[in-house]
Amino acid sequence: MPQAQVTMDVRKVRDGVSVIDIKGELTAFAEGVLMSAYDEASDGGVRAIILNFEGLEYMNSSGIGLLVTLLIRVNREKQKLLTYGLSDHYRSIFQITRLDDAISIYDTETEALRAANKA
Amino acid sequence: MKRGKNRWRLWRTVLGQGSREAQVIAPATEERVRSTEVPAPEIAPNDPILAYFQNVAGIVDVEKLELDSPALREMKSAGVKMAIPLVSQGELIGVLNLGPRMSQQEYSADDRKLLADLASQTAPAVRLAQLVRQQQAEAQERERIEQELRIARLIQQTLLPKVVPQLEGWSIAAHYQPAREVGGDFYDFMELEDGRLGIVVGDVTDKGVPAALVMATTRTILRSAAQRFDSPGEVLQRANDVLYPDIPPNMFVTCLYAILDPESGVLRYANAGHDLPYRRYEEGAQELRARGMPLGLMPGMAYEEKEVLLDHGDSVLFYSDGLVEAHNPEREMFGFPHLQALIGDHGANSEGTLVEFLLNELAKFTGEGWEQEDDITLVTLQRSEGVMSVDGPAVSSSEEAGGGENWRTLERLSVPSEPGNEREAMEKVAEVAKQAGLDPGRMEKLKTAVAEATMNAMEHGNKYRAEVPVVIEVLSSGKALSVRITDQGGSPVPKSEVPDLEAKLEGLQTPRGWGLFLIESMVDEMNVASDEKHHTVELVLYLKGEGDAS
Repeated sequence: MPQAQVTMDVRKVRDGVSVIDIKGELTAFAEGVLMSAYDEASDGGVRAIILNFEGLEYMNSSGIGLLVTLLIRVNREKQKLLTYGLSDHYRSIFQITRLDDAISIYDTETEALRAANKA
Repeated sequence: MKRGKNRWRLWRTVLGQGSREAQVIAPATEERVRSTEVPAPEIAPNDPILAYFQNVAGIVDVEKLELDSPALREMKSAGVKMAIPLVSQGELIGVLNLGPRMSQQEYSADDRKLLADLASQTAPAVRLAQLVRQQQAEAQERERIEQELRIARLIQQTLLPKVVPQLEGWSIAAHYQPAREVGGDFYDFMELEDGRLGIVVGDVTDKGVPAALVMATTRTILRSAAQRFDSPGEVLQRANDVLYPDIPPNMFVTCLYAILDPESGVLRYANAGHDLPYRRYEEGAQELRARGMPLGLMPGMAYEEKEVLLDHGDSVLFYSDGLVEAHNPEREMFGFPHLQALIGDHGANSEGTLVEFLLNELAKFTGEGWEQEDDITLVTLQRSEGVMSVDGPAVSSSEEAGGGENWRTLERLSVPSEPGNEREAMEKVAEVAKQAGLDPGRMEKLKTAVAEATMNAMEHGNKYRAEVPVVIEVLSSGKALSVRITDQGGSPVPKSEVPDLEAKLEGLQTPRGWGLFLIESMVDEMNVASDEKHHTVELVLYLKGEGDAS
């Protein structure tokens, strides 16, 4: 099994808000990395998690599946999932799959943070 | 050699041809028992006494001779009184050495004359005997060599395939022409699982029986490794590790191993230092490179593995150095550039097979009366012309896409069914699409669709069996791009329900299952077709953005 070509760094930017910087490929191989990044991000109780996709090189249907799985956990924890930095292509995929209904899309980290604070 | 009571001790030293060893032959009489055994002196080839013996006429009084010669000192200390060189036609062939007369008297003039006569008459006879013996030895040696050659040829011929395999859609030919002194060439075909064919072409350093034995061993090792490993690189690695401890020093084996999937036309290969095969295709001849050390030189070697997709009408030539290293009367070598040019010239419509053509060219090059220097081995694979069902089922794209007869193939490629390989397929197709003029704004859609369809083909069709490739053909009609992705599963991806995010979030659907939905959303047209062995998905994207898919 190939290694996940991805890194996810977690930043606790503010009280109750974490950012996960996703760099590389979001595919089936990223499952372990994404779930442990989520655990780290929500450690100590946060109400919003922001996915930073500025470093995303490739996402496939398995990656979308992972986001759905993440969404289920986030919903269960009554948290909010936000995102910024998506390319036009992946933004349109979020629209096609209606992921954007559940994960709000922002252009910049500032905008996403502002929205997270309102949450 | 007895004369009354005058008994001599006689040592006869016969110098063999080129031999440094002297022989002592004592007379086979009762005197021998009473005589003191005195060894004949060893005469080194650079001892000055040899020149002296050769040039002196008659009897030599050893005690009086002054010469800085180890042999002379030895003769003196052994009690040799007289030496009579045996010279025939100016060549020193032996020496009669005499000790003191047993009667305690000095040798008389009569004795001396008798000995001189004896020496002059004996010399030619001894010489003749030496020549006869030498010729017998040479004849025996020749016979031994011939016998060895027969054995080597027998081993070789017993182990080379008797027939070439018959594969539908392919013609396979092999030609093996041993040199008089058999070299170590060999080739082999192995039937593998799933109708695939293993092809070996190799050459053992050295000639004759040693080479034939190493060839036989290598063949067996490769056969067993080929049944255990699916990857040509692993087969060579294994063969090298098994062969290395047993192969005589200074011997090694160059060897190419390839696996042909006759269905898809994919040839995977690895090379242990053997001459690079050539692929002949529409544009000419292409070297098939893969790095690796010869077998048996060093343990723990890894072998690069490559693959090439052979199109209809393509050929591959495997060969040994006997062809490229053949010399013409001007001592020029046949050479790789010449070979590559010839292969490129030999089109699919040329008369005769590639093997016949090359042998013909070789004969023209070497001229008449050429003595073949080394074994020549040629093995060719040719994929037949024409569209066969092995291409996968026909897909029918719409008139709007510019379908029908207008499709022109831009590229055919394949990827092994290993997780993650969809990215490679995606990048390669994108490169072709860029050349074909696909609108940059549509490129990402194409990439996602190709990656998803390739993943489906690897997973559902080929069950992630690495040795089963996904074949991808990129075509253009001038208006649209068609990407046909074929697996060997023979059934379409099971249609799941349309993915619904709400249902997924509520746990009513699996979080996965987005692939087909994504593909359909990315392309202008998607067509599928299946036959009993293959499944093809055709993705059509218009080159320009009208009728956007999203």
